[in-house]
Amino acid sequence: MSEVESVEKFRALSPSEFFYRNREIAGFSNPARALYQTVRELVENALDATDTHHILPDVKVVIKSEGGDGSRTLVNSEGSAEEYEGVLYSVQVEDNGIGLPPQHVPRAFGQLLYSSKYVLRQSRGMFGLGAKMAILYGQITTGRPAEVITSQILSKKIHYFKVSIDIANNTPVIHEFSIMDKNNEWHGTVVKIHLIGDWQRSKQKIYDYLKRTAIIAPYANIYFEDPEGNIVMFRRSTEEMPVPPREVKPHPYGVDIELLKRMLADTSAKTLTEFLVKEFQNVGELTALKILESAGLKPDLKPSELTLNDITELMRSIKASKIRAPSGRHLSFLGEKLIVLGLRETLKPEFAAAVTRKASVYEGHAFIVEAGIAYGDKVPPSDKPLLLRYANKIPLLYDESADVMRKVVDSIEWNRYGVTLPAPLAVLIHICSTKVPYKGVGKEAVADVPEVEKEIELAVREVARKLKSYLSRKAKEYEEAEKAVTIAKYIPDIARSLHTLTDGKFKREELEKELLQLLNKKLTMLKIKSLKEVVIEVS
Amino acid sequence: MGHGTYLTSKDLSARNKAIEVIKSKFSEIIEDLMNGRNPTLVIRKRTLTNTIYDEANGLLKLGEGVLKRSFLNVNESKKFMQTLLIASIIYESLKNNEYPTIRDLYYRGKHTIKYRDLVTRKVKEENTWDEQKESDSVIRDLEVFIDMLREDMLILSKEKGKVVGNMRIRSGDDVIDLSKMGHGAYSIEPTPDLIEFLDYDVEYVLVIEKDAVFQQLHRIGYWRTNKALLVTSAGQPDRATRRFVRRLNEELNLPVYILTDSDPYGFYIYSVFRVGSITLSYESERLATPKARFLGVMMSDVYGSPKLGKKPYLSESERKNYIIKAKEMDIKRAKELMNYKWFQTPRWKVEIDIFLEKLSKLEIEALTSKGLKFLADTYIPHKIEVGDWLA
Repeated sequence: MSEVESVEKFRALSPSEFFYRNREIAGFSNPARALYQTVRELVENALDATDTHHILPDVKVVIKSEGGDGSRTLVNSEGSAEEYEGVLYSVQVEDNGIGLPPQHVPRAFGQLLYSSKYVLRQSRGMFGLGAKMAILYGQITTGRPAEVITSQILSKKIHYFKVSIDIANNTPVIHEFSIMDKNNEWHGTVVKIHLIGDWQRSKQKIYDYLKRTAIIAPYANIYFEDPEGNIVMFRRSTEEMPVPPREVKPHPYGVDIELLKRMLADTSAKTLTEFLVKEFQNVGELTALKILESAGLKPDLKPSELTLNDITELMRSIKASKIRAPSGRHLSFLGEKLIVLGLRETLKPEFAAAVTRKASVYEGHAFIVEAGIAYGDKVPPSDKPLLLRYANKIPLLYDESADVMRKVVDSIEWNRYGVTLPAPLAVLIHICSTKVPYKGVGKEAVADVPEVEKEIELAVREVARKLKSYLSRKAKEYEEAEKAVTIAKYIPDIARSLHTLTDGKFKREELEKELLQLLNKKLTMLKIKSLKEVVIEVS
Repeated sequence: MGHGTYLTSKDLSARNKAIEVIKSKFSEIIEDLMNGRNPTLVIRKRTLTNTIYDEANGLLKLGEGVLKRSFLNVNESKKFMQTLLIASIIYESLKNNEYPTIRDLYYRGKHTIKYRDLVTRKVKEENTWDEQKESDSVIRDLEVFIDMLREDMLILSKEKGKVVGNMRIRSGDDVIDLSKMGHGAYSIEPTPDLIEFLDYDVEYVLVIEKDAVFQQLHRIGYWRTNKALLVTSAGQPDRATRRFVRRLNEELNLPVYILTDSDPYGFYIYSVFRVGSITLSYESERLATPKARFLGVMMSDVYGSPKLGKKPYLSESERKNYIIKAKEMDIKRAKELMNYKWFQTPRWKVEIDIFLEKLSKLEIEALTSKGLKFLADTYIPHKIEVGDWLA
C-alpha cells in the first residue's frame, strides 16, 4: 500500500479501524511477531515511565501460557473473517515509573492518536501508539480487554482498569474500574494483555531484545519470567542514568505541510508572527518577519485564516529562509561511560570503548549518533561484526540487512583497524533523535539519509580507532613481553657462568639481580619483578 | 693437585696461561654489568666476507669486521649465554685439570631451561643447545674472542695424524724416538704445541694424504733411505697434524712436500695444509704452512704437458688402466679452486686445465700398483731432485 493511499484511508476510517486493518505495518503480522512486539511496546513504555523521569527502572516482564495444556487455539474474533492460529498467552509488564493520572488511563490505552500537543520529545514509543496496537491486537485475537493497574508517586490510591477500544468510533470502553487504598510506597504501572502468540518462534527474538535492552540500559533491573518457567534477571550495574530528554518545539525545517496545517488550526497565537515565534524553535521576531515577508503574508494575519495557497507559500518561504540549525541539547544520549558499561556487563569482552558524536541535523531534525565496540574474550567470533542497533534506546532486531547501520559497518575495512575477520567483534550503534528516520513503518531499520549515514560512519570509525590503538598497544606489549622472556630465561645460566668465570667473587643471586635490573631498565611497558615469573627451572 | 693427578710442567703452564686469558677477557663483561652497561662480547667476524688472503704471508686471516654479541639484544642473547656457558665450562675444566673433548663440552653444557611465556602463560622448554654443531660454533667464537686455539685450552680431539722418521721429541715428560716405532707410528697428539723437538737427522718432510700409502712407504723404510720425516693426515688433515707440520717447517726449516691424489680434492687437501680452511681462517695463522709444496700427483705427471715440455710418468696403456672418470663434484670443486688466489698461478692453471680437459683423475694407489719401487725409488725422489713441485 502506498503512502498516499494510507493517508487517504486514514481520512476515511477512524484511526483505530485504520490501524486494525493495517496492523502488520505496526509489527503485528503474525502470532510470533505479535508476541515479540507486545513485549517490546510494553517494556519501552515502562522504561519511558522511569528513566525519563530520573527513576532507576525496575521492570518485570512475565509471559504466561494461558491455554492450559498449551494446545493451539483457533480464535474467530468479532468483526473479522480472519482466524488466528496460536496459543493464548498473557503478557504482563510492571514498572516502578511515575504512574498515570487515572483520568487519562481510558484514553491513553483505549484511543489511538490521543495527543494534541505539538511539542517533541525523544521517546522510545511515539505517543504510546505501540501499546495501543498491542491492546488492539490482543482484543482482536482473544476478545479480552487489557488490564491496567497504576498509581502515581504521591497518590494514596491504586487504580484498576479493564479497558478495550471501540474500533469503529475510536473511543475507549471501560469494562471494569476500581480504586484501592495504597498502604505502601509503590508507584508505577502494570499492564496485562492477553493475545494469541507463538512463544517458540519468538523466544529467540524476545531474549535478544531483553539482552540488548540490558546493554543499552545498564542502570535498569529487568526481570523476566518466560512461559516455560525460566527466570532471567538482568541486574543493573550502575545507578548513573543518562540525562532525560527535554521537550522541544519543532524546528521550522522539520515540519511538513500537514503538520503546519494542524499547528495553524490549533495554535492560540493571535498573529502569524506570534505563531512562528511561539510554536517553533530558533525563530525570533526578526526571522519570523523575514519568513512572512518572503511568503507575501501580513504579519498580523490570524493563523486560522490562512488559505491553502497561503500555507503552501509559508512552507516554501520557511524552507528558503536562513534559520539557525536545531540544537541537540534536548536529546538524551547514553554517553560513552554507560555504553562501555553495558557492553562490558553483557558481552564480557576484553576491550570496550564508545564515542558519542556531537549533535547533527537532517531535514530540520537534530540527532546524535553513538557507537560502541566490544572486542575479544567472550564476544563470539563471527564473519561479519555482530551489530547491535538502537534507536532512541530501543534495540532494533528486524530488517538488519536493510539498515544503513549494517551498510556502514560492512563498508568499513576492519583490517585497517587491526581486526582480521572473522573476529570477536561487536559494534553498537545508537541514534537518538526526536525523529529517527526509519525505513518504512515497522520502525526496525534506519533509512539511508546521507547526513545520518555520514555521522554513523564517523562514529564507528572513531571508536574503531580506539580499538586499533588498543590492539596495537597490546601487540607491542606482547612483542615486548616476548623479548623480555627471550632474554630473561637465559639470566640464570649467564649468572652461573659469570660466577664461575670470576672464581666465585660475585654471587649468583647478585649477578642475577644486576642482569634483571639491566633488562628491566630497557623494558618500557612491563617489568619483571622476579626471575621466578619467567624461569621455572634450569636443569 | 691431589687425587693422584700428575701433570707435566708444560701442561700446567699451558693451563695457567689459558686460565689467565679467559679470566681477564671476561672481567670486561663483569665490569660492563656492574656499571649498568649492556654486557657485550666483541668478536671478530668469522664470515667469508671478513676473510682476507694475506698474500705476503700466504695466509688466510680474519679482517677487521666484528660482531657485537650482547645480553640485551634479543637476536643475540642466546648466543651470548652460550658463549659464556662454554667459557665457564672450559674454565672449570682447566682449573680441575681435565681434558674435555668438544663432545664432552657439548654434553656438559646441554641442559633444559623451563620457563613461562608471559603472553600465553604457557610453560615452555628450551635446551641451551640441541646439537653439537651449536656448541662447536660457540667454541670457535670463544677461540676468536680470547685469541687462543682450543688446543691451548687443553681441549682434546681424536688423534688422526701419524709420524715416523729419524727424530726424537719430548712429549709430556717422555722422550720418544720416532725411528723406533716398529711397524706402527707415533700418533700426533692433539696439543702439538706441547711437543719439544730434541734432535733429528732429516732433510725434508713428506706428508701423504693416504694412510695406506704412508704405511707402505714406512715398511720399506723410505724415511731411512731418503732422510725424510713421513707424516700422514689420513685424509682431510686435522688441526693437530697441520700445527705439527707447520712447526716442523717454521721451527726446523724443513721443506714440506705434500703428496695427494691427482684430483681437485687432493689439491684442496694441499690447500688446507698450505693456507687453511676458508671457513676457519682464524686458525690459519697458527695452523697453515704457507711454504708447503705440492709434490704430486700432478695432472702433468699423468698426461705430460707439451706446454711445460714435460713427459708423463705413465705410459699410454698404464694411464688407460689407472685413470678414473671425474665426477660432477670434482668438476665443481675444480671451479671453486680457480677462485682461490693461491691457485691463480700459471703453473696451477696448467694442472687445472688438464683436469678440465681430460675430466679424469688418478689415485696415488695407482702409482703403487705400477710398483711401490716406482713410487719410492723413482717418482718421489726424482720429483724432489728436479724440483718438480708447485707452491
